[in-house]
Order: sequence, then structure tokens, then C-alpha cells
Amino acid sequence: MPVRYAPAILLGRVARTLARLRKPGGGSAVPGLVVNTIAPGFLASTLNSFPQGLVIVTGSSGKSTTTKMLVAALRAHGASVFTNQSTANISQGLTSALLEHAGLSGRIAGDIAVLEMDEGHGALISGSLEPRVVVLTNVMVDQIDRFHDSDMVAAMLSKIARRATGTVVVNADDLHLARLGENIAPPVAVARYGVTAEVLDANPRGLGYTLTAPTRLAASDGMLLTGVDGRDATVSVDGATHAVRLPARGTHYAVDALTALAAARATLGRSFDVARAVTAISGIPPVFGRGEVVTVRGTTVEFVLVQNPASFQLNVDSLAPGTEQILVAVGSDVRDPSYLWPADTSGLGHVLIASGSKAHDIGLQLMYDGVTVDRIEPDLGRALDEFLALPEPATGVKTIIFSADSMRRTRAHLGLATNEADPS
Amino acid sequence: MTLAPADSLTIVSLLPRLLDTNGDAANARVLAQRARWAGVDAVVVPVHTVTDLPDRADIVVIGSGTDADLVAARDSLLPLADTVSAWLAGGVPILAVGTGWELLGDGIDLAGSTVTGLGLVAGRASVLPTRATDDIVVTTDAGTTGGVRLIGFENHARGYTGVAQSLGRIQSGTGNGDGGEGVVAGSFIGTHLHGPVLARNPHLADRLLDAACAARGLVRVGSAHTASVDDIAKAARNQVAVRLGLSSE
Repeated sequence: MPVRYAPAILLGRVARTLARLRKPGGGSAVPGLVVNTIAPGFLASTLNSFPQGLVIVTGSSGKSTTTKMLVAALRAHGASVFTNQSTANISQGLTSALLEHAGLSGRIAGDIAVLEMDEGHGALISGSLEPRVVVLTNVMVDQIDRFHDSDMVAAMLSKIARRATGTVVVNADDLHLARLGENIAPPVAVARYGVTAEVLDANPRGLGYTLTAPTRLAASDGMLLTGVDGRDATVSVDGATHAVRLPARGTHYAVDALTALAAARATLGRSFDVARAVTAISGIPPVFGRGEVVTVRGTTVEFVLVQNPASFQLNVDSLAPGTEQILVAVGSDVRDPSYLWPADTSGLGHVLIASGSKAHDIGLQLMYDGVTVDRIEPDLGRALDEFLALPEPATGVKTIIFSADSMRRTRAHLGLATNEADPS
Repeated sequence: MTLAPADSLTIVSLLPRLLDTNGDAANARVLAQRARWAGVDAVVVPVHTVTDLPDRADIVVIGSGTDADLVAARDSLLPLADTVSAWLAGGVPILAVGTGWELLGDGIDLAGSTVTGLGLVAGRASVLPTRATDDIVVTTDAGTTGGVRLIGFENHARGYTGVAQSLGRIQSGTGNGDGGEGVVAGSFIGTHLHGPVLARNPHLADRLLDAACAARGLVRVGSAHTASVDDIAKAARNQVAVRLGLSSE
């Protein structure tokens, strides 16, 4: 690693200090912008320098959870892992994250890097990266990005996958990715994972993929998810069944765990120990904001983050039966009220408060889906105060379903830490 | 073949798998719920092929899809053209949103190519100078649609030309691209207002329901539940109006 990046790194650190003086805890993209402007090769050069290589996790949904699980599995095998902990998955944010750890040589301590990348930004910056393993989760079309149709998303993922030097890990149930896997040629290997017919049948609305493959993966062709029951799942690896504890309820979390297992084996090769990986994955705390269980003001609350219509549907469908205290908050990030409208929310049954700046629009949707809505309260702070002050529910825990904007406001209102990258 | 009870409304949702990008197929659900709240039974019948067709249609809705599916959607509609034509001739209320409307028209001009429509509705879709993605406010014509304000969201790259009578005049937004929005032709209404247009604008939903119930001799009654839901819709509309500097209702 050349020393030529030292001036840029120093300047980036100055920028970081200034940004933090201006806005404590924030400003994480600014130093990245500084370094990328004056030393554009820094990012790729640093990421390509890890002794055991770079692992990229990308796809429409499930990236953060899968990345956390994979990192836990690799660390359980004794590997020293650099990863982008926050949602800093754009190039400036990533560079800023690297700056936190880089010495003046530009090198970062660690055996291996595991990075979560947004599919669009990943395609932009991946031309200069040489990942050993590329992990592909799924292709879902986010309504907010609907100018990007699924073919475009698949093309972006394909561009990232083509940079792989070792293994491409693909979801065999996602037809776009299954086709992508068929076009990977030796010496690059393909590692497949998928769910059994029983697991798919238990999800009558499917798993949210734009296109679902017509056939299921055979046990001889990859790792399988064989069962999901609440927060417990079973996976089949080389003919043996293993039990996995999930960070939250839902088939999508079980698929994330399976993805992480397949990715860990692709990364570790012969030193992969499935029992060790399963134990590590079962032990990770709930992922930030998505099915996170917190104790606040003396009461237990489950936070459920809605990222797109598909995840909204999955979250509604996987809510614990009998959950009697639900608050739904949708904020200004949902610009177009049709964004969540394709989801069928009837499964919620009874919502105590609809809140956020889009309280009326989400309230309308709930009521037309036959959900009883006790109250519309656009003032999120007031809604949270009253919701948390209610007596403990007889069944289930207090559950707050929110969009990203409402999640930020909720955490701020409740004085909870936020570890998100601040793009401003 | 789906047989509905004799005294219930049959609401047909055309191609809800291909034409539901913005949840437009839920327009059928909104109509059915409003009918039920008003004491009129209703069933929603999704129609993908001729074998799905019910024996009768009281209201028909068709939504918007992605451009990648334009030809597939047109080809799926072709075998249904005679039926749709008969509905139009028979005065069945039809609400068509976005590409669903465009496909029932003469054709769709794309950059460098054209998709021929079913030709059941006058006019054609042609490319706008810039994509329209924003809130849209329309004042409907007092004579044909009661002179009310519709507030919705539009997200489309094409306008519509050859409209004899629009649904209303644009107060904010782009619509057809010539100051008008949508089309009213007999019992047919075409619009760029997507997603929860009928939930946000219940008077438009009731216009379709009134026509359908009148044709069937069914009577809707007011309900407190409908009134409370419509108050929420009004608040949602006013929120957009105020942000745009327009008056509240």
C-alpha cells in the first residue's frame, strides 16, 4: 500500500473532526467526500488490500442482517473482520468508515473485509474492486425506485457478481439470481441456497422476490432452509439438520441466516465449521430497527422497520398472532401514498394509533383493509407517549411498525442511540 | 365463472397481477368496502383471462403497470376486448388508471416505437417533456363530475392527447400535459391519479357506485363508519392542499 494516501487521510480526519464539532455523532459522509475528491483511488486500494480478501453482500433486501450474521460467523472462526457497521453503504460513507480505521499507510488491520453495498452504488464503485466472494440476497423492486425495474436491478447485481474472483453466493429461489448463477463460469464457483417446498408453502404470498424460481433447490445442490417456527429455524447442510435462533420472527430472517451460512462457507472454505457458524449466528442481537426488541420507560417494545412494500407485507404476515397493541407510524419519507398501498394490511386486525406525518394516508389504507384503527394522531411524540403509557398488553408485546423517517423520530423522542450514517 | 348473489355488486379488477404497480388494483377493494359499509353486498373478481370473466360486471377497474410489461399487458387484454367493448356500450362504469387507460386507447408512443392499444377509448399516450412525479390537484367539471377537487399523486412519463372531455382542469401538477387531466367518455373515466385515488377521493368512488347501484336498483345508505373514514380522507387531502398553498376544504 503506497504512502501517497497519507495527506488525503489526514485531511479526511480533519474533516471528520470538523463535521463532529458541527454536529455531534453526525457528518459521517463529509470526510469521505474529501478523501474521494483528492485521492480517488483510496477506497478501492484499501478494500483490495485485505489478506483474505473482500466479501460484498448486496441485493434488494436483507443485506444488513445477512452482513451482521456473516461477520459473527467469521469472527467465531477467529478471523479479524473489518465491516461497515452502520448503513454507510454509499461510497462517501464507506470511505469515511474506512478512515476511522486506516493508518496513514492506508492499510486497515484485519484479515478480511465484509461490506454491505446498495445494489446501485455497488455497481458504480465495483468496477475497481476485486471481491473474493459476492453474496446476492434477492431482487425486489422498491416502489420508491420504480423507474428501476427488476431487470435493471438484476443487471446491476450481475455487474457486481462479475467482479468476483472466488465464489458467487446466490439465492436459488430468486429466479433473477438463479439465472445469474447459471452464467457464472469457472474458475469462479457458485454456492446456492434455498428454501424447501414446505417453507415456501407456508408463505402463501411468497417471499417477496420479483420472480420466484419454479423449482426448489435439491439438498445435494446447496444449503436449505427446512423449517421456520417463530424465532426458530432449521437448516440442512450436507445432509445434517441444525437449529438456528433468529434475531426476530419471520421467514425472511431465516433466509438471511441461511445466506450468511452459505457465505461463511464460501469465505472460509475448508476451515468452515457449521456448528460454530450456527452458534454465532444464533447469538447475534436483533438488527437495528428491524424486529429490534427494546426496553423503554419500563416496558418492552418491538420495533419493526418497513423499508418497502414487500417488507411491509412480510412484516405484517410475520407479526406474532394475538399482538394486541400496535402503533403504525409513516413519515415524510413516504412521499407517494401509493408506496405502501399494494400491501394487504388486514392481518394487523386492530391498530391502536396511526401516526407520523402520513398518519391519515396510512390510516385510510388500514381502514379499507378492514383493520380497526382507534385513533389517528399525526404528532408522533404524543402518539408514542400515550402508546407507551398504556397498561401492558395481555398478549404479545407493544409493537411499533414504522417507516425509516418515523424510526429516526421515534428513537430521538425516546432518547435511544442511533448508529445510522448521517448523509447530510 | 363467478356467480355473485343476485343482490350484490360484481366489481371486476382487470389484470391485477400485471397492472398493480401502485396498488391500483386496490381500487376494487375500496369500491367493495364502501358498498358493504353502505349495506350493499359486493364481490371483487380478478380477471386475467376470459375464463375468469364473471357473468355480469357492475363496475370495472384497471390499473397501471411498468413499461416493461406494456406489450404483455396489451396482449392479455386483447382476448378481453369484445367484453370491455360491450361493457362500455352497456354503460358499465369503468375506472382506468395510467397504463391501463393508455392500453384501452389508440396507442402508446414510446421513444422510438409504438405500442398499439385496443382502440376502445379515443386518444393516445405520448411522451411528456419531463416525467411527472408529484402531487396532483384537479378541479372536476361541474356539469359532468360535480365540480369537486380531486387530490392524488401522479408518476408518469407520458401525457394523453385527443381527449374530447377531460375529468377536470389541473390546479397543480401535469396530468394530460395540456392543462387538463384524465378523460370522461360516457361511463368511462381515465386518470393519472394512481394508488389510493378512490380512498383519497371518496366522491369519485361514490360516483362509480351511484351509477352501478342505479343500474341495479340497489340503494346505498349512509353510515357513521363511512363518514369517519371520509373525514380521514379529507384530512389527507387538506394536508396536501395546504402544503401546495391551496385552500382547505
